[in-house]
Amino acid sequence: MGNYFSSMFDRLWGTNKELRILILGLDGAGKTTILYRLQIGEVVTTKPTIGFNVETLSYKNLKLNVWDLGGQTSIRPYWRCYYADTAAVIFVVDSTDKDRMATAAKELHMMLQEEELQDSALLVFANKQDQPGALSASEVSKQLNLVELKDRSWSIVASSAIKGEGISEGLDWLIDVIKEEQL
Amino acid sequence: MSAQTYKKFENAGSTDLPDKMTIYQDCMNKFNESPISPKRCRILISRLLRLLLNGETFPETEATALFFSISKLFQHPNDSLRQMVYLAIKELSGMSEDVLMATSSIMKDIQNGSDLVKPNAIRSLAYVLDESTAFSAERLLKSAVVSKQPSVSSAALITSLNLLPISETTIKRFANEAQEAIGDLKQFPHSSGANSEYYPNSTFTTQYHALGLVYQLKKNDKMALLKLVKQLSDNGNLLKNQMAKVQLVKLVNDLVNRDNQLFPQFQPILFNWLSNKFESVQIETAKLITSFASSHKNARLVSPDLFASTISTLQGLLTVPRVTSRFAALRILNKISMTSPEKIVICNPELESLINDSNRNISTYAITTLLKTGTAKNISSLISTITKFIHDVSDDFKIIIVDAVRTLSLNFPQEWKSIVKFLIDVLKNSEGGLTFKNSIIEAIFDIVSFVPQSKEVVLENLCDFIEDCEYNEILVRVLHLLGKEGPFTSKPSLYVRHIYNRVVLENSIIRSAAVVALSKFALTKNDSTLKSSIISLLKRISNDQDDEVRDRATIALKLIDFTSADDENSLIAHDLLQSKKFYDLPSLENKLSAYLSSNTDSFSTPFDSASVRKFTEDEVKAMDLKRKQEQVFNNTSEGSRETPIDMSLESTTSIKEQRLDTETYHGASLDQHQEELVATKYADELMNVEEFKDFGSLINSSKIISLTEQEAEFVVSGVKHIFKKHVVFQFNIKNTLTDVALDNVAVVCTSEDAESSKLNETFTLPIDRLMPSIELQCYVAFEKDSDVVMEGFLNNLVFTTRELNPDTQEPYEDDEGFQDEYEIDPIYLNAGDYIESSFIGDFESAFDELPNEEIAVYNIQEDISLQEVIDKLVVNTSCLPLSNTQFAPNDSNSHTLKLFGKSALNGMKVALLIKMIKSSKGIVIKAQGRAEDEELCSDLVNGLM
Repeated sequence: MGNYFSSMFDRLWGTNKELRILILGLDGAGKTTILYRLQIGEVVTTKPTIGFNVETLSYKNLKLNVWDLGGQTSIRPYWRCYYADTAAVIFVVDSTDKDRMATAAKELHMMLQEEELQDSALLVFANKQDQPGALSASEVSKQLNLVELKDRSWSIVASSAIKGEGISEGLDWLIDVIKEEQL
Repeated sequence: MSAQTYKKFENAGSTDLPDKMTIYQDCMNKFNESPISPKRCRILISRLLRLLLNGETFPETEATALFFSISKLFQHPNDSLRQMVYLAIKELSGMSEDVLMATSSIMKDIQNGSDLVKPNAIRSLAYVLDESTAFSAERLLKSAVVSKQPSVSSAALITSLNLLPISETTIKRFANEAQEAIGDLKQFPHSSGANSEYYPNSTFTTQYHALGLVYQLKKNDKMALLKLVKQLSDNGNLLKNQMAKVQLVKLVNDLVNRDNQLFPQFQPILFNWLSNKFESVQIETAKLITSFASSHKNARLVSPDLFASTISTLQGLLTVPRVTSRFAALRILNKISMTSPEKIVICNPELESLINDSNRNISTYAITTLLKTGTAKNISSLISTITKFIHDVSDDFKIIIVDAVRTLSLNFPQEWKSIVKFLIDVLKNSEGGLTFKNSIIEAIFDIVSFVPQSKEVVLENLCDFIEDCEYNEILVRVLHLLGKEGPFTSKPSLYVRHIYNRVVLENSIIRSAAVVALSKFALTKNDSTLKSSIISLLKRISNDQDDEVRDRATIALKLIDFTSADDENSLIAHDLLQSKKFYDLPSLENKLSAYLSSNTDSFSTPFDSASVRKFTEDEVKAMDLKRKQEQVFNNTSEGSRETPIDMSLESTTSIKEQRLDTETYHGASLDQHQEELVATKYADELMNVEEFKDFGSLINSSKIISLTEQEAEFVVSGVKHIFKKHVVFQFNIKNTLTDVALDNVAVVCTSEDAESSKLNETFTLPIDRLMPSIELQCYVAFEKDSDVVMEGFLNNLVFTTRELNPDTQEPYEDDEGFQDEYEIDPIYLNAGDYIESSFIGDFESAFDELPNEEIAVYNIQEDISLQEVIDKLVVNTSCLPLSNTQFAPNDSNSHTLKLFGKSALNGMKVALLIKMIKSSKGIVIKAQGRAEDEELCSDLVNGLM
């Protein structure tokens, strides 16, 4: 019975409803690379995003509307203009950039305080694991103070967008959480 | 169903603007929906654009919110929607600061978008990029410029042009690509559809855009531009696009205006272009040649052949079927007619047939042109043609025609009879509003004041006219004129009757004006009966029911009473009834407003009207005539001042384009009125300086002379002030440095001939401290030992430079600065400084009557035109050129200049008759001067150059 309903909702969702997902993070963390890894499954050459990239992709019968917003200091203030109706936030951290870990933590917590994002799930990618000297996921989690987060589904996944590791695992988790929460 | 919703949305045909807030709300709702409906969004954006294009704006917060919601539409891949999004971004870019957020998305479309959206994406790029982000678009733009798709290439070229003021270094790197695009004949992608035979393969507009960009990139490199013109004109078929060809003509125009010596080498090309297959190219070329030739120093560079074929090209264009071409050609001819009407007389038959053109703009232009080319012979026939025509055009055109007739009357004073007849006829018989009637009255007044022999006829006709005139304003003006001129005519009593009729029949405004006019007749010489009848009329009026009328009549009676007495009061009363002096209005205005705003002693002291300069009637007329002459002249020189290449390409509403415009536009020079105000201001400032109070009243001030280049570190201009026994040089010094202040700034003037100098320097008033970008005055005063002293002075600016502390903008305390000198141009006192221009109606008889004569002959070896000599003579002598002799005909080698003025010291009249002959060796000038004052006469004649 429950199964029947959920598959019906699934179908309704798949055709009508798009899920809005934001990819945020400091500049150079690998947001754009992750976006296109998700969409076309390849590594593209990127340059700093002035503004945003938006792509629609299907993932497990769901239509995802994925927004990759630029991470430069000048663009961060505009993030909030795109918060409305966001199902989930993917926060990407450059695990090798130890110096700016505190900045990343600050931006993350500031963002999560926004009213419009109270119900969104959070997935953190500890990215660039392929590079030497990258912090592990648990270390990044500690630096970002993720344990402090209350009333929110969150997860951190070690990833390498270049090698394509961890991305789908993270997204799988995210989709499950969204389905659960929105049903 | 979809058709219905579409209809409902559009509400087609309605001309009302949709409500701003409804649109805003709809946009916010629909654009943030998920999923979005592309069709609805497109319609919404089109309505939003309609609002914006009608001039509506949104406050910044709303505009920002709109922009962000529109930016969310990038998620939808629909091409048509994307095009609308780009249009909206362009419009909103002026209102919202945040458009840079669209940058990445735009760039993605430029790279991977469909051919449909690519051009739109490229065009919107110029609105979102700034100096720091422009470089990131370099590669994209460059490849778009060389794209085979004409619309993509055009868009990229225009965007580059718009980005030029924002990031010059980036765009400069496209020079080669843009150059290539000029020659590249790009075709639209081949379409196999049924329509393909109806559409051209290409319009080649890309050539135009590429040429525009290349010009902007190379505009400072004369050699490169020359090469470009050569390359494009040698291969006549390279440029296919009409606009590109016109652009090329403009480019040549720019080149020859910068360096007129280049003109001869372009002549063969210009010859060719005059017979180009495009009319617009012919017109542009004709415009280039005629406006170039209208400048006197260039005129001799234009070969007579070229000019003749220009005129015949224009003549041919007057009969083409296209209205715009006819109009443009006519406009050029009209411009020529203002300075050298004799050159276009051959076009008269065509012009005459254009009088009946169905387009009113053309017919009016044709008439005004004909009026200028009119010779003494055909004026009367012309005027009868216009008389028929003028009754069936609108007021605006009537005014233009009347103005043209008015200039005609100044040029052909001897033709006043037919002109007056025409003017009176339209005044009486034609329908028209106040402005039109007023312009006729202006014209008639001009004739009265500058053609004295017409006076009585005009006045009689005006008397007739006021019997039946519906406009108070005009009646009052006519009554004033009657009062001013009537008493000096042969039959003053005639006018009295007409004026008194007004008192009986009209309203109080006119009655009071009539009273003033009447009272002036009481002073008519040697006619005691007239005087007594005026008194009895005025007595009757002093029982009028209106206060103002009564008051005026009473005071007039009192004043008339005073005049019969033989004392001091009589003079004052005389002056009040019929004043011979007129206030200098700009100065009066200035002083009055200063008086009102000072308010320190709450008006306990009365306004000092004696401090305002006054002019006699002749002086007023002189200034008036001068102004009118200058007006004509400004109209003619306007053509050459047009911006050489007009770069307003497609999006005219763009803010950035305006930025480009303001950079290329150089502010116009001070206009006449402002110049007068400045002169008054200087005189006032001078008189407020304690040290000059002993010098007595200011007799004359020269125009402002610049003594340095405008780009110099210290910009100095000078004014010469003449007092009875003193001369004061005023130096306006501007410090254009940003980080240095000048202390103790003074000017050291050394006489060119120190031994025999007749001027003794009495003192200098230095400037204590001159801060950056401030202009202050330094005065140097001299005592002169005779009335008229002519001398030259070498000038040196001396000062102490003090470096400024950038934080406080104060000089450093411990820095003592160092002494420095700066040489500026010499200043010359010449006879003209003692002369004021003055008007005389009949130059010849005045000239013959003056007692003292002096003749001098000059030889000028330099190769300059007669007009340049005339301009110089007019400035040097400060006299008023009369009978329109300040314009030399271009094709003649001789000219006679008539100048009239009077001494500023004692009002003695002086007249100059200067004959010039130009030969291959130079110009010979014979100046014949006659004056009341012998010394003045010889000084002036011998110090002409």
